[in-house]
Parts: sequence; structure tokens; C-alpha cells
Amino acid sequence: MATLENGFHLRTEFHRDLTVNRLLGEGGQGEVYHVAYDGRPAALKWYKKDSLKNPAAFQENLRQNIMRGAPSREFLWPLDLTGWERGSFGYVMDLRPEGYYDITDFALCHVRFPSYKAVIDACLSIVSAFRILHNDGYSYQDLNDGNFFINPRNGKVLIGDNDNVAPDKTETGIVGKPRYMAPEIVLRKNMPDSLSDRFSMSVILYMLFCLNHPLEGQRYLVPALTPALEEKLYGSEALFMMDPDDRGNAPNPTVHGNSIKVWNCLPDYMRKIFLDAFSRKALEKPSARPSEAVWLNTLTRFRSEIVPCACGNEIFTQDGRPCRCEKCGQPARIPFRLQLSQYAIPAARGSRVYRCQLGICDAKDALNPVAMVVAKENRPDVLGIRNKSDRRWDAVTTKGEARKVAPEETIPLKDGIRFSAWGETIEILSNGPESAAP
Amino acid sequence: MPTTNELTDMPRKDLHIFYVLDTSGSMEGTKISALNHAMDETIEVLRTISKQNGDARLKIAVLSFNTGAEWITKNGPEYLEEHFEYEYLEAGGLTDMGAALDELNSKLSQHEFLGSMMGALMPVIIFMTDGYATDNYEEALDNIRQNRWFARGTKIGFALGEDADVKMISSIVGNSEAVIRVTDNELFRRLMRFVSVTSSMVRSRSSTADNAPTGAEILQQVEGIPEEAKVRLDKDDYNPEPKAQEEDDDWGDDKW
Ligand SMILES: Nc1ncnc2c1ncn2[C@@H]1O[C@H](COP(=O)(O)OP(=O)(O)OP(=O)(O)O)[C@@H](O)[C@H]1O
Ligand SMILES: [Zn+2]
Repeated sequence: MATLENGFHLRTEFHRDLTVNRLLGEGGQGEVYHVAYDGRPAALKWYKKDSLKNPAAFQENLRQNIMRGAPSREFLWPLDLTGWERGSFGYVMDLRPEGYYDITDFALCHVRFPSYKAVIDACLSIVSAFRILHNDGYSYQDLNDGNFFINPRNGKVLIGDNDNVAPDKTETGIVGKPRYMAPEIVLRKNMPDSLSDRFSMSVILYMLFCLNHPLEGQRYLVPALTPALEEKLYGSEALFMMDPDDRGNAPNPTVHGNSIKVWNCLPDYMRKIFLDAFSRKALEKPSARPSEAVWLNTLTRFRSEIVPCACGNEIFTQDGRPCRCEKCGQPARIPFRLQLSQYAIPAARGSRVYRCQLGICDAKDALNPVAMVVAKENRPDVLGIRNKSDRRWDAVTTKGEARKVAPEETIPLKDGIRFSAWGETIEILSNGPESAAP
Repeated sequence: MPTTNELTDMPRKDLHIFYVLDTSGSMEGTKISALNHAMDETIEVLRTISKQNGDARLKIAVLSFNTGAEWITKNGPEYLEEHFEYEYLEAGGLTDMGAALDELNSKLSQHEFLGSMMGALMPVIIFMTDGYATDNYEEALDNIRQNRWFARGTKIGFALGEDADVKMISSIVGNSEAVIRVTDNELFRRLMRFVSVTSSMVRSRSSTADNAPTGAEILQQVEGIPEEAKVRLDKDDYNPEPKAQEEDDDWGDDKW
């Protein structure tokens, strides 16, 4: 069905040569081609004739976005525009690299994340990218399962389809994809904006954890899902399947086993943020939805609390205390914990403290690790904590002496050592001698 | 914590695509073979789409009619992702469109073809004929129009060849703009595929509206329909579908 034949050649607005190599795929509004752009491989999105309501305004918005540049490296941002050819036009972006998959591939189990840590990393990338975009005053508008490319190995995320990104509250003509639109959009009370983006993002996050759609509980199983019922399910009567006060849309044990399994294991604060995101109030009132900053804090805490067991299981610890692996029964070796202002996290090898766990920070810095637990060279049993930030910490030794810890310097894990950075103090606490036994 | 391997794929609703295909004697020769190839190709594409579609699982049902009507999918609609194989149809007999509509009507029910744990979306129903009905299809049409699955489904018609009754097929799908008239076998094959693909993916697309699309709306999205293949009949020349009355659908509704 390709509109452009292989070998088709044109010049872009930035006066670069572009040659079509082959069709990669097709979407609702257009086709995506593998092209040679200025001599290097790239992707070209080409709009179907007459698929845009107001092509001139759409193209101008794209041009503005190109001039401004990508908000963060997660975005497969438009790089250049073509002129009008054969009654249409397109834009150039980078190609999706190897090893990245669609959300649908995860939802249908064609690929799996190797661990929950990787799931959390993917969620963190998504949240962080939208936080930056929203802070810049833009909204994505058409956030759905087709927009993300995820690498399951490292949780890296790339966000495509950036052609509807526009200054918040701009009408681009698109309302979004069924199942991912916020209730106020489904009910035509509002046009897409950053708060409706927040809803759609939360749907994606729930799906990545539970492989279910948060609003598709028991009620989704009606024999005939008519458009009128869809409007209720995703709009006027939207109800989270885990809503504790109204079980009308509760998970069905046969169909929604994923949600039941995962939900039972999630820590309280993770359940709480999903409950907040899909509460009756948040479904009706866009401003009641948890912000990206709150998502980041919650997800980083969750990531910090996961400790790998020798059996391969991921143990969810609580408050950094030792516990047993529920799969193999072995105790998790957590000799120390790191006490932050609100909670404590286990100090196990590989544990990280992120910048956003130390109070308010710039969106771009939120996921920078500031501290990491490392093992001494050749002594895997001797752990220390390394300064991964670019500034010096003020530390206090067990004897009460003040010390500076330079970037990349490592201090030993010892009960009572305190260090502060960005006005926040972290204390190293021992979990008792028995927890140190191998 | 369950490991990520312990989770199963996300539940999806069923989306049924019904094909109601004319295999009367006049289809003999190149037409029936064009139809068989069109179906073969279409099914392969739909299979791929279903595997990559997070929004619905596609099921196919094929009803062939000549003297009487017979399901090719005898055990009910089949999941395309499983090993469904299309068996080539043969031509011969009359054009009992009425019988086809009656048979379709009897199976468009959650107690017949449309029942499953997951429940279904509104079906897509694609009709194809190359002639004039040899029985009283009007009464059958009045009956099937009372069927809510039929009334709310997406209906599209193909009139194949010079002798196809465009008025009849327009009446059946309820809107002449949901009909394509083709005389060229090659074009028919291509459009059959495009139409099937577009109607099966419609839920997966970002839109500017959120109603279930009509057959006419689907055809507006299909590229490459030549002007002469578009049918635009006067409303007095056929029996257009009456406007569906707004019903207040309910979660516990068992009238389906
Ligand atoms: N940068 C890219 N590199 C490689 N493949 C891409 C790239 N962008 C999109 N694709 C692929 O091209 C196909 C079509 O993409 P497109 O964005 O048009 O689809 P869509 O999300 O369904 O579109 P729409 O939102 O317009 O309905 C998809 O299969 C997608 O995986
Ligand atoms: Zn274990």
C-alpha cells in the first residue's frame, strides 16, 4: 500500500537529500519509511493524503517543534520536514534501534522484561520524559500503547509519534486512541492537555506492571461492548478494577489473574499511587491526578527496595530491613540500610539513591544516581557507598568527625555514618550482626 | 513477587469479521477464483494484524450462499491466530440472499456465534454478490435489522461484475456509500484486503471522533477506491437502514 516507491528522492527543508529505501510500517495517519537522509539511515513519516484536518497548521507546528529540539533524549523527535510532493508531506526522525519493542509486544507476551527492576526503569524513563515535556509547557495529546519503544534488557524507552506534541491546550484535531483517552476526553468535556496525558500515562504504567488495563475489569467482560457501553467504561462510569470502595469492576479471577498476582505483592505506596491515579476523584477531576514528580518519587523508592536473591527472585524489602525470600526461603543478606528523610532503603550491592529522592530538583536531574552501593575490588563481601554526584558530600564519621567526600570517592558502610547532599541527610544504619551472615 | 514470566497475555475482546459470500453459478470461472485468492490473502494479513493487535483478537466466520446458505466455519468463528485454514469455495446454484440473511441472523447472538468469556465488540460484516437475489431477501432483511449485532455492526458490500444488484446490496448494508462496485478481479482482490484490514484496525487508531464507524466511514479511509467503483444511489432507489434508536445500554443487559 506504499505511496512512495523505493528510490523516491526529494530535498528537505534543511536542503538535505532524502531517498526512500523501503516501507517500515503503516499507521492511521501515515506510513513510515526507512530512508537515507543526508547519507545516513533514518525514518520518514509520510502523511496520507487528506488524513490531516488542517495540514498547513499541522506542518507549522511540526516546524516549531523541530526548531525547538527534543525535550529529552527519550523522544524520537522530528528533525527535518519535506516539502509538498504528490499532495502530501512528511518529517524525518531517527530510526528505532535494534532491541526495542512496542508496548503491545509486552502486553501480548511476545517479549518479557527480565525483571521488575527493568519494568521500573522503563516506567521511570516514561515518567521522566513526560515530566520534562510538561514542564516545558507542552502536551503530547495522543498518548497510547503505540507510542513507546522499550528495550526490555535495560528498560530504556524511546517515544515516537511526536507529531501531535503542541503547546498545552492547543487543539491539534486529534482526540486520541480508544482505551487510552482520559474520561473527560471520552465525554468530550475537554480537549487533550497535560492532565489528560497524565491519565493515559498512568494506564501505560499499570499495563507495564500488571499486563491488564486498569479500567477493564469485570465490566469489560459484557457480551457486547457497544459504543454506548464503551463510553461508560472509559468515561461516565469509569471505575478502577482495584477500587476498594466499589467492587463493581473488580478483577475476574480467570481473566485478570495478572492483576491479582501483582497487586498482592505491590508495596503499600505503589498501590496507593495507582489508587490515587484511578480514584473516582482523579477520574473525574484531572487536577487530582498524581503529578509526574510524585510518580518519580514513588517509583524510585520501589526500585531501591528491590534486592536480588541468589535464587533469581526479586525480593521486595520493607524499610530496608532483612527478610526472607518468599520463593526459596533463604534470608536476604542486607547488613545495612540507608535512612532517608521519609523512609529507609536496603544498602545492598547495586542499590542507588537518585537525585529526586533527596528533595525537590530539576526534572532533568531527577534520575541521576547520587550514591551507589559498591563492593570493594576483589572483596565482594565488603561494601561501601560511592559518591556518584558531581559535588562533595558533608559526612560525619562514627566518631563524630566532619569529613568531605569527593565525587567518585567511596566511604565504608558503618553504623552511624551520616552524609548530606542537597540539604538532605542520609544515615547508614546496621541491621544487626545476624543479617550480615552469608 | 511473581516473576515477569508468570504473567499471561493481556485479555482482549473478540472482534468478529463475517464474510457472506455469493457462490452461485454465475461466479464460476475467474470470479470464484478471484474471490478465493482475495480471501486467502486477506486472511494472511488479518492473522498478522491480530497477533500485533493489543485492542482485539480477530475471529473470522465465512458464510457461503447459493441454493441455500452454508457456514464454511462450521464450528463457529475461528481465531485467526490459531491455525485457521481457508478452504477454496466452488461455484454453482442460485443466489439465495434471503437464506443467507436468515442464517446469519440466527447465528448473530451471544448464545450462538458471539458468545465467549471475553465478550465481543460490534462485528464487521462484509457481503459480496455478483447477481440478483433468487429468493425474497426483503423479508429476511426486515428480520435481521431487528438483530442488534447486525444493526450496530460495521457493514460493507461488494458488488462484483456488471450484473450485480447494487440496489440489493446497498439495502442490505443499509447505505449505498458502504458499497463498492468492481468489475476488475484484480481490483476486487486488492480492495477486499484493504477493506478488511481497515475495518479490523479501526479501534486501534487514534481518531478525531469516538463512535463505532459505519461501513461508509470505513470506505472513506480506504485508499485507492477509484471513483467509478463508488456507489452513490438516491435514497429512494433502495431501502436505507433506518436510524438506530438511541438505546441505553446497560452492564447487565442480556438481550444480546
Ligand atoms: N522511528 C521509527 N523507526 C522505525 N519504525 C518506526 C518508527 N516510527 C514508527 N515506526 C513503525 O512504523 C509503523 C507506523 O508508525 P505510525 O507512527 O504511523 O503508527 P501509528 O502509531 O499506528 O500511527 P498513528 O498514530 O498515526 O495512527 C509502526 O509499526 C511503527 O512501529
Ligand atoms: Zn530466593
